[in-house]
Amino acid sequence: MKKKLNKKEEGIALILLAIFLLFAMVLSLFLGSVFLSPTELFQSEILWQIRLPRVILAALIGLLLSISGVILQGILRNPLADPYILGISAGAGVGAAISIVLGAQFVVFGMSSIPATAFIFALIAVIIVYKLAQVAGKTTPETLILAGVALSAFCAAILALIIIISGSLQSIYFWLLGSLSSATWGNVLTVIPYVLIGAGVAYFYSKELNALLLGEEMATTLGVDVENTRLILIGTASLMTAAAVSVSGLIGFVGLIVPHWIRLVIGPNHRLLIPVSALSGMLLMVVADTMARTVLSPVEIPIGIIMALVGAPFFLYLLRRRRIEGK
Amino acid sequence: MSILRLDQLICGYDSNKPIIKGVSFSVYDGEFVGIVGPNGSGKTTLLRAIIGLLKLQQGSIILSQHRIQHLDRREIARRIAFVPQLMEPVEGFTVEDLVMLGRTPYFERFSFENEDDHEAVKWAVEELKIENLKDRPVTELSGGEFQRVAIARALAQEPKIMLLDEPTSHLDIRYQVKICKLLRKLRAHRSIMATFHDLNLASRYCSRLVLLKNGELIAEGSPEEVVTPQNIWKAYRIKAQVKKNPRTKKARYVLLP
Repeated sequence: MKKKLNKKEEGIALILLAIFLLFAMVLSLFLGSVFLSPTELFQSEILWQIRLPRVILAALIGLLLSISGVILQGILRNPLADPYILGISAGAGVGAAISIVLGAQFVVFGMSSIPATAFIFALIAVIIVYKLAQVAGKTTPETLILAGVALSAFCAAILALIIIISGSLQSIYFWLLGSLSSATWGNVLTVIPYVLIGAGVAYFYSKELNALLLGEEMATTLGVDVENTRLILIGTASLMTAAAVSVSGLIGFVGLIVPHWIRLVIGPNHRLLIPVSALSGMLLMVVADTMARTVLSPVEIPIGIIMALVGAPFFLYLLRRRRIEGK
Repeated sequence: MSILRLDQLICGYDSNKPIIKGVSFSVYDGEFVGIVGPNGSGKTTLLRAIIGLLKLQQGSIILSQHRIQHLDRREIARRIAFVPQLMEPVEGFTVEDLVMLGRTPYFERFSFENEDDHEAVKWAVEELKIENLKDRPVTELSGGEFQRVAIARALAQEPKIMLLDEPTSHLDIRYQVKICKLLRKLRAHRSIMATFHDLNLASRYCSRLVLLKNGELIAEGSPEEVVTPQNIWKAYRIKAQVKKNPRTKKARYVLLP
């Protein structure tokens, strides 16, 4: 039987995980296509202008995507939900690409044009998938995924088309495969507000997400305004996905693997699931990005490829397990 | 004073075809009211309307002096708790985690469970005598055990009234009796309203019965007043004889050959 952690043990576990993450980030700074000794490294532009922003960005993207996954899995009551599989990432990608190609420069509610357009398209995508998957007022995990896959393919095609027309074939790789190779401090600053808002909303809605574990009707009888909660949380997940996609393209499966795994280990209580998933998502992305930079060095693999190589088999395993258990 | 008053309640899923057609009655402090009636008589629909899962078409529900339309969801949840016929066990939750969900209407936006919540959970767990199950995963419980956990969750909500939909329908006779005895004991703290299929079980344990047919109330009163051959014929079209249990003095029906 799984031992339940008390408040203090939970705190210790979180701190240990944070220390581990910090350690991984520092280690990652030393690794790369150019090897530098610590003294050289601290004086080098490579550290301050390239590796450091990149490692931080990887961690922040990990947080954005894994929390989106927690939220989507909770609110859709679907263990296979994830921003990439549901086509939200691809939708956001189309939005971001349109904004870049048109060179639109505007600021709405403090959002710069690229994440703002990405957000609008991410929202449209999630609404379409949700409506398509609804059969008699209910969504089953399988129809939701099918709708997501179809929309994802459609959006990826539009995205590729936009890039080809705009004449920069090179960046197709960046967008469709997901990459952190052009990470800058500017990117880090762009996503920080979304990290703070998203993580905050998710954490303070963890009681609603917990009540939803009993189903929408029971949550209603527990005083949860289900409609409102759904609106706010799906909006938040789309916003976080849009921010991530705006700076790193389509990176899949983080939002699927992390919450799923963490739930198996610590249970579905969102008050703990959310912070632990956040730290684990950060850790996963830092490790994956380090691999992306070093495995085939000096050639760099887009991080999306690494995540897909790990994530797709995991997803198939989950699908199969569900079928065997008949759930 | 009435905890809950239904006044000419009309509701259903389709506005042209109401399922509940003008039902009025009250539930008082410390009562255990059983809602009985044939399949499709509207028992479950009535509970769903009271808990707010179904919009009223006409009439009103008054919950300890407040019209329910004037209360928000959280205020309703602090006064009425609902135990559905089948609740999904949450994978990965212990019994204690599940009972704690009953405290949801008391959590504030920026805070989590406090001492009061732990006290309420402890009390509910003790009332239902499930202390020994506290740390067990809910997915490993038997039907009878899980039903007690579901009731503990509702009790932790500290409602004025608990509504239970067919609390005994999935249980063997031992647990049917056990759950009914528990509910009869719990009514000292909270009024209880539950739907039943088994007329004899309801008659044995409820303090008052409401008999529905086709969404209308056809009899209401003490079990002896409601369980009569005439009423059974009216509701079920069954010829029955009613006897008094010599020990409990409660009315029970026996089918006539």
